[in-house]
Amino acid sequence: MSNLSTNMTTTDVGTTTTDVGMTTTDVGTTTTDVGTTTTDVSITTTDVGMTTTDVSMTTIDANIINPAKESAKSKKSRIEPMANLTSSYMKQFLFIDLSNGQIERVPVPELLYDDYIGGKGFGARILYDRLAPGIDALGSDNLLMFMTGPLTGTIAPAMRGCVVTKSPLTGIFLDSYFGGSFSPEIKYAGYDGIIITGRAEKPSWIWIDNEIVEIRSATGLWGMDSLKTNHAIKEELGDDTVKIATIGQAGENGVLFSLICCEYNRQAGRGGAGAVMGSKNLKAVAVRGTRSVKISDYQAFEKAHQKALVELEKSAEVEALRIAGTASAVEYANETGLLPNRNYKNGTFAKASDLADTGQRKHLWLGASACMGCPIRCSKMGAVRLGKYKGIVTDIVEYESAALMGSNLDISDVRAVAHLVKLCDLFGMDSMSTGGVIGFAMEACENGLLKNYSIPESVDLSFGSVKGAEYIIRSIANQDNKLGKLLAKGVKKAAQALGGNAEDFAMHTKGLETPGWGPRGASGMGLAYMTTDRGGCHQRGFPISYEVAGVPWKGKILDPLSPCDKADMVASLQNYSAGTDTLVKCDFGSFGISAATYAEMVSAATGRKISPEIITETGERIWNLVRLFNLREGIDSSKDTLPPRFVREALPDGPASGHSITEKDMLYMKQEYYRVRGWSKDGIPLHDTLKRLRIRHEQNNENESGAA
Amino acid sequence: MSTFIKTNFDLCTGCGICQLACSMAIVDADAWDVEHENKSKVPDSDFCTTCFTHGYNPRLARLKIINKRENLYHKPVVCNHCENAYCMNVCPAKAYERDKNGYVLINAKKCVRCGICVEYCPENLIYIDPITKKAVKCDMCNGDPTCVKACPTGAIELAVRVNKNKDDDSGEHV
Repeated sequence: MSNLSTNMTTTDVGTTTTDVGMTTTDVGTTTTDVGTTTTDVSITTTDVGMTTTDVSMTTIDANIINPAKESAKSKKSRIEPMANLTSSYMKQFLFIDLSNGQIERVPVPELLYDDYIGGKGFGARILYDRLAPGIDALGSDNLLMFMTGPLTGTIAPAMRGCVVTKSPLTGIFLDSYFGGSFSPEIKYAGYDGIIITGRAEKPSWIWIDNEIVEIRSATGLWGMDSLKTNHAIKEELGDDTVKIATIGQAGENGVLFSLICCEYNRQAGRGGAGAVMGSKNLKAVAVRGTRSVKISDYQAFEKAHQKALVELEKSAEVEALRIAGTASAVEYANETGLLPNRNYKNGTFAKASDLADTGQRKHLWLGASACMGCPIRCSKMGAVRLGKYKGIVTDIVEYESAALMGSNLDISDVRAVAHLVKLCDLFGMDSMSTGGVIGFAMEACENGLLKNYSIPESVDLSFGSVKGAEYIIRSIANQDNKLGKLLAKGVKKAAQALGGNAEDFAMHTKGLETPGWGPRGASGMGLAYMTTDRGGCHQRGFPISYEVAGVPWKGKILDPLSPCDKADMVASLQNYSAGTDTLVKCDFGSFGISAATYAEMVSAATGRKISPEIITETGERIWNLVRLFNLREGIDSSKDTLPPRFVREALPDGPASGHSITEKDMLYMKQEYYRVRGWSKDGIPLHDTLKRLRIRHEQNNENESGAA
Repeated sequence: MSTFIKTNFDLCTGCGICQLACSMAIVDADAWDVEHENKSKVPDSDFCTTCFTHGYNPRLARLKIINKRENLYHKPVVCNHCENAYCMNVCPAKAYERDKNGYVLINAKKCVRCGICVEYCPENLIYIDPITKKAVKCDMCNGDPTCVKACPTGAIELAVRVNKNKDDDSGEHV
C-alpha cells in the first residue's frame, strides 16, 4: 500500500510529453532492431504526438528499476497534461530481457491503442513487428507476452488476459487465454502487458512489485510442480496475496504442449506457451500491484456495466454455465454425435452422462468458484472424497478435458479423469493436447506401432486404461523414457516419427491437437478448424451453435452437413472473436454481453470512442495480420486442412452417421472462405484487403503483399 | 436497530466483485485534497476524474477474501464494527468514534497517522491510506454497503444485530 505514493511519481513520468522525433518508443528498444522498415510501433508515436515516457528511462540497475531516480530526472521536462487522460489503460508495457537482465518500462504507442485496442491485438502486432521470420520458438529470440485488455481489472464482467508468443508446437502464432486473477494484477502493478525475451543463464523467476522488478534465482524451484512452486514463492515473499504464473516440470522439460498455470486452476493452456517460458529458464512470474485501474467516464461506465449484468442474467447459456459449467456440454455433444470416442473414430459415448454434470455433481463438486470480477462462476470446485484418488482437490472437469481425457480414451470414471487432468495441471501440460496425444498413442499401440518403445508389460496402453493414460502423462512430463520423448512433440511430429499409417489417425490441424468436437456432423466447425489462426482450435468461432443448434445465420437455417454458406459465418465469427479478444473477453461472457455493450464499456473506460463496428473491423485487421505472420512462418493453403480421419472415414454413429467432410467439401469451403476474406485462391490476403484494413506490412516480400 | 455485514463462505465464489465495487466507492475527499494541493495537478494519477475515487483494485478495498485449498474455499472477511473494538481502544488520539448506528468510524481530522490501530485489528482490516497516510477502514457506506449491493451470490449480506448484549449476533436478514 505504501507504494502508492511512489506510484504518483512514476505516473508523472508517464505523462511527460516528449519532443517530436523520438523514435525510441519502438517496443523493445533494447533488442536488435528487427524489421525497422515496418515497425508499426515506431511510426506511431510521431504521428500522434502522444505523451510518452522519457526515453532515457533505461535501467539504472541491471535488475531493478528505481522509480525515484527516474522521476527526478524527468521532472525537469515535465509539462502539465493538456486534457483529462484518465483511462483504464496503464499506458506502459514492462519489457524484460532475460539474457542481459535489462528491464524497461516502455510507453504504449497511441496507434497500438487506435488500431489494436488491447490483448490479442497488441500481441499480434508486436509479434509481427519484432519477431524475425523463422526463429526457433524455443530460442532466446522468441517473445513471451502477457497481455491485458482495456477492461481487464475493472468491474466489467468476465475479462481475462492472454499469452501471445510463437508456438513451439505449431511454429505459428499463438494466443492462449487465461482467467483467474493474474491478469488484473498486471494492470494493478501498472502495466498493460509484460513482454519477455532472451534466456536467463540459470533458472529464474520474475518478481514484479509495482515498479520494482527483480529477477530472482529459481534454482530451488526447478523441478517442482506448478502448485508447489506457487506456494513456495508465496512463502518466500511472505505474502499469499501475490498472483503467480508458473510452469511445471513439463515446461522445464520442453514438452511442446506445456502450459502456464495462472493462480489457481486457470491456465494459458494451448499451444505450448509453457515450453517457451521453460526455454527462457523462467519458472514463474509473480506480481503484486497496488495501483488502481481508473475509468474515464464513470457514470457512463457504470451504466454500461449494469447493462452487461442484465444481459448476462437474460442469457440461457450463461445460466447453464452458472449451474453446471461446461460439463453440461458432454451430453449435448453426445446427443449430436460430436463427442470424440476412441481417438475420434466415433462421435458418441455410451457412458457420457458419467462424465457430464450429473456424474461430476455426484462425485466431485462442492461449490462454485469464479475468476476475478466474474458473476458467471462457471468453475465448480470439489474434491475426490473416496476411492483410489481420495483427497485430491479438483476444479470442474471442463468439457474439453472430459471429452479428450475421458470419452476419447474410453474412460468413464469421472474421478479417474479428474485425477488425470489434475496430473496434467500439476506437471503443467495442456489436458486437451495431452488427451489427444494419449488417444493417438493408444491407437498406435492397437496398430502395433509402439513395439520399439519398450513399454513395461505391466502397462496396458489400450483404450479405457486409466493406468496406461497415467503412464503416458508421467512419461511425457518427466521425459524419462523413449515413449515420453516421442509424444512430448505432439501428435503431428510423433506421427511423422512413427511412420507407417500413423499420420492417418494423427488428429491435429497445423500441429495443434483437435479439440473435443468432432466436426463430421458440422461442416462449418470443420472449416473453423481448417482456418483458425493458431491451428486446430474451437474458440475462434464455434459454428456448432448455429448449424447444429438450428439457430439461423443471417436469417437462414444452415444444413450442418452441407459445405454451402459456411464461409461467411466462420469468417464473421472469427472477426468478432478476434475483435473482442482485444478486450480481453471471456467467451462465456460473450454469450450474454452484446457487442454494443462491450463497445460502451470500452468507450467509457478508456475515453476512446469504440463502436461494435470498430471491434469487428479490428478483429478482421488482426486476423489478416496474423495470417501474414503465419504465411511468413511457412504456412500455405495446403495446411488449411482437416485430419484425414474426418475426410476419409465416415462417422459411424450419431445423427450425422455416414457423413464425412470430403476433399471436395473442404476445397469448396476453403475457396469460399478465401473469397469472403479477400484473400487470393492460395489464401494470401490481397493488397486491397490489407489497404482497406490499414495494415502495415512488409511490402518487399511478394509472398505477403497480395501479389496474387 | 443495528445492522452489520454477515458473511457466508459457502456462497462466496471469490470473484472479488465486492472488493472492486468497494475500491471504486471509496470517496476519499481528504486524500483528494492532499493530492490536489501538494501536486497542484489535475487528478490523472491517483483518482478518477469523474468520481473522485481511486479506481478499481481489490487491494484498496476495505474488505478481504481469503482463498484456501486451491480456491475450494473462499472466505469473505469484513469489519465487524466490534462492540469491544480494539482499534478504538488503542487509538491514542481518540480519532475513533461510534456513530448512532453503532458503526466504528475514524475521524480523519483527529488521526495522527501513528498506525497503532492497524497493528491491533485481528483481521487486518484497518488500512493506511496511500496518500494521506492516515488510518482508514470500512464505514458501512452509511448503512447501505456497496459491497453487499454488488455481491452476486449473497455471500455478504446486511443483517440486523439482535440481542447484542447476550452475545447472540447471529442476526436475522434484512
